[in-house]
Amino acid sequence: MFNQKRLEYTFISFLIILSLILLDIFQLQTQEFDSTSQTIEKQNLDKFYITAPRGEIYDLQGEKVASTTLVPHLYINLRKVTNENLTDYKQIVQYNFPELLSSEINEIFNSKDILSLVIDLSNVEYEVRNNLLTNYDAFEIFDLPIRKYIQNELFAHTVGYLGKPNNEETSEFKNALGNNQVGKNGLERYYEEYLSGAPGEIIFEGSEIVDYKQPIQGNDLFLTIDSLTQSVVKESLQQGIELANKSFESPNVIKRGAAVVLDIESGNVVSMVSLPDFNPNKFVTGISDFEYKQLDRDQSFNNFAIQGLYPPGSVFKVVAYWLALSENIFPEEVNNKDSNIDCEGSLSFGFDDGSQQVYNDWKLDGHGKVDLREAMKQSCNVYFWDIALNIWRNFGNTEAESILQEYSKELGFSNKTNIDLPFEKVGIIPDRELFEEWKISRPGLVREEGWLGGDLMNLIIGQGAITTTPIQVANAYRTLLTGENISPTLNKNASKTINNQINVSDEFVQFLLKDLNSVTNKGGTAHVSFSVLGNKVNDIGGKTGTAQNAGDKNNTSWFVGIDSVTNPKYVIATVVDEGGSGSAVAAPISRRIIQHLLGYDITPVEFGEVTE
Amino acid sequence: MISRKITLLGPEGTNLYILLQFIVFSIISWFTLFTSVELIEFNTGNILSRQIVFSLIGLSVFFATTYISIENLYNLINPLFALSVSVLGGLLFTAPILGVRRWYDLEPLGLPIFIQPSEFSKIILVLFLAKILSSDMNKSLASIGILFNLFLIFIQPDLGTTMLLLIVTLLMLFLSNIQLRSSVLGLLIIFSAFFVFLELNLLGEYQVSRITEFFTGEDFSQQQSRLSVSSGGLLGTYFTDSLLNDVFVPVQTTDFIFSLYSRNFGFFGAVVLALLWVLFFFRVNRIIRKTEINFEKYLLSGLLILLGVQIFINLLTILGFIPLTGIPFPLLSLGGSSVFSTAIIFGIINRVFIENNIAV
Repeated sequence: MFNQKRLEYTFISFLIILSLILLDIFQLQTQEFDSTSQTIEKQNLDKFYITAPRGEIYDLQGEKVASTTLVPHLYINLRKVTNENLTDYKQIVQYNFPELLSSEINEIFNSKDILSLVIDLSNVEYEVRNNLLTNYDAFEIFDLPIRKYIQNELFAHTVGYLGKPNNEETSEFKNALGNNQVGKNGLERYYEEYLSGAPGEIIFEGSEIVDYKQPIQGNDLFLTIDSLTQSVVKESLQQGIELANKSFESPNVIKRGAAVVLDIESGNVVSMVSLPDFNPNKFVTGISDFEYKQLDRDQSFNNFAIQGLYPPGSVFKVVAYWLALSENIFPEEVNNKDSNIDCEGSLSFGFDDGSQQVYNDWKLDGHGKVDLREAMKQSCNVYFWDIALNIWRNFGNTEAESILQEYSKELGFSNKTNIDLPFEKVGIIPDRELFEEWKISRPGLVREEGWLGGDLMNLIIGQGAITTTPIQVANAYRTLLTGENISPTLNKNASKTINNQINVSDEFVQFLLKDLNSVTNKGGTAHVSFSVLGNKVNDIGGKTGTAQNAGDKNNTSWFVGIDSVTNPKYVIATVVDEGGSGSAVAAPISRRIIQHLLGYDITPVEFGEVTE
Repeated sequence: MISRKITLLGPEGTNLYILLQFIVFSIISWFTLFTSVELIEFNTGNILSRQIVFSLIGLSVFFATTYISIENLYNLINPLFALSVSVLGGLLFTAPILGVRRWYDLEPLGLPIFIQPSEFSKIILVLFLAKILSSDMNKSLASIGILFNLFLIFIQPDLGTTMLLLIVTLLMLFLSNIQLRSSVLGLLIIFSAFFVFLELNLLGEYQVSRITEFFTGEDFSQQQSRLSVSSGGLLGTYFTDSLLNDVFVPVQTTDFIFSLYSRNFGFFGAVVLALLWVLFFFRVNRIIRKTEINFEKYLLSGLLILLGVQIFINLLTILGFIPLTGIPFPLLSLGGSSVFSTAIIFGIINRVFIENNIAV
């Protein structure tokens, strides 16, 4: 039978135990409180942080791009190394690891850390390790994760690399505790917190290890880029650069270029290449000062796809094209997109201030009768200058004079695309305000009169003070085709971020595609570069650009391609710094990339036609 | 089965004191975890958010348990006990984690969760004992089952839980009109069995070192936890933050959470927590007195004893009176299995209350 009395005895004894426990706690917290505070203050618990295995990075096909391997490393607990046994320990290290220089050994023993890294043990026999661990108190073995970039240079600018943290990074990243490596550039930096995991902790009380907390592994990252496409894009860009060097008398060796392929629907980065590049594995093993400086001089560490600032030239005409159709602003005397002007190869005009100017088109004998489509197709500057003049004459010196700049900004120019890569540049869309600012901050750069009609005419053809990055240009085109300016991403699992939305009708998109299509077809500036595709070119579109640079720098070669005008899937922006004519160099590079994207046979990059 | 309406505060007739205490204990746990050193340093906001999620799931576990009638529960006891023994037996075939076979890793099923079946087998054991003591089941067969159950936990090895369940079993036997002499005899047999194990080297090195370390008085985590409790003073550091030098206590968010709680809320906090639990025991004891069904009396007393002994073992470990055991503090320690099993206990108590429809 259940005995209620005994239950109550049990509870009473529970109460007694509880009271005794509380009594002990009370004594601890009152009588021992002061001595505890002193003990805690004196208590010298040090932590040593062990790097956590970083998450691995995979390409679109699930192939590893960056891997992490745990490799056992020998450490020495310097708190156990005293003046008496110092020489012994030095000799033991020297004897077992003859490959270490004596200067390196001194460095190990002079370290400020509690645990000092001696050597990688992966090639050291088990007996040797065991002997060191059992016979010598100060040695410890811990696994250290080693990063490897499997594709070497191919993802140098996108994946990035690791390095020792600087002061700023130490406070920013939790993994920087204990001077552990952090992402320095690329996705390694942007997704540092996601990839790094949390370092393990080794707790020391004096010289003894009293606790060990396992590191927490970082998360894996999955890219939107496929390695094969990436290598085709890189080869194409390399071939184009080589070709440009062969074909032009350039005062400088042509080295730099970038190519970006975006998925139009999702904004995913299908490929991103910047040249020259470097092997990020060099940072894992340690890069020599000489090598670093050499790479740095060539600007190899710059990702020109998001950091290269170039005047866009004629690829920028698409902004005016959109503006013309949206606002019905055409050249004077023209009131719709199908009416012609007569291009005689130059434009002379007078401004309100009385100045008379003559602007010469790239094609000195003129393009003849030109409507909006022909202006795109043949990249006729005169037609677009006429639009600029129309804006200037109607709205100059009023609020509305910046309408072209506003349209540019809607497409993302002079703003970050907010791609998931660090250190993105924004570029410049000049206007009156900026010129006024420059008059003060950068005197001598702009003329005394400030912003003039000629500056707007320059801007409309992508020349003058304007600068853009390849990612901005690619994203601007995909924004025009979809109506949504979203942040491009390299992370397959990233959620979509909308920067802003624009108003484009289906009808407009069809016009635009058709007119971009005419550029690669007969009579278009890029036709020669694309002719190798035969009648397949009927479905491809693009826009060439050749931007002039100040000084003796050769022109910047641009091409923006669309893989299909009936079913547009990719937009490809290619730029070769000092590469000359866009139709001759950038266009055939893009053509080769498009061949790959559409699954056609790939033919080498061949020099196209020099236009513009 | 008695059908019950669902109201905002759970099933009709729910004992609000029990529900309220569950919520209050959970909130105390959140406030304590919020100050965890691990939380601040690594900014793994998930320590706290995980516990909040556990508490919320625990609340639904509480309600779900309330829907099981005591009659159904009674009929389920034998199969449940068989299941519990087989699940514990199944652990023998898993890969050891941190040197012991104590958890099922659900990672292969796509769930990042470890399940500790002994958390739930505790309750099932109490159910089983309550049934044996209140019915005329074959006692010797049942005793073999119980001993086998304890043995399976012992060889995980999980010395703490084994001791806990032994004490609970003995106390529950004590509640029946069993002769005191046979209880003492049983105790003697078990202690000698323990030393035989020790002598035959059947205990893992890890266990032995814990015990020897304890007798040489060198256990680092217990030294630290005493310091941590002591540093709380009368009112704790939660609102003053006077001691910047934090005290490092290993596994402070799980088994050692009371050291963090004490540091935060001092002696005042310890007394409040103790009073809350005393109040809880007092309430449940009233239910035990009111019910006329022997099974329910045994069941509720067994569950109370289980909670009480867990708390004592946990506190005595933290204060360094007994060797490290790995017993969490119910509803205060971080951990899903512990929260859920305590929620089940609260749910069963609530159900007994509802069925007896006692006015509080």
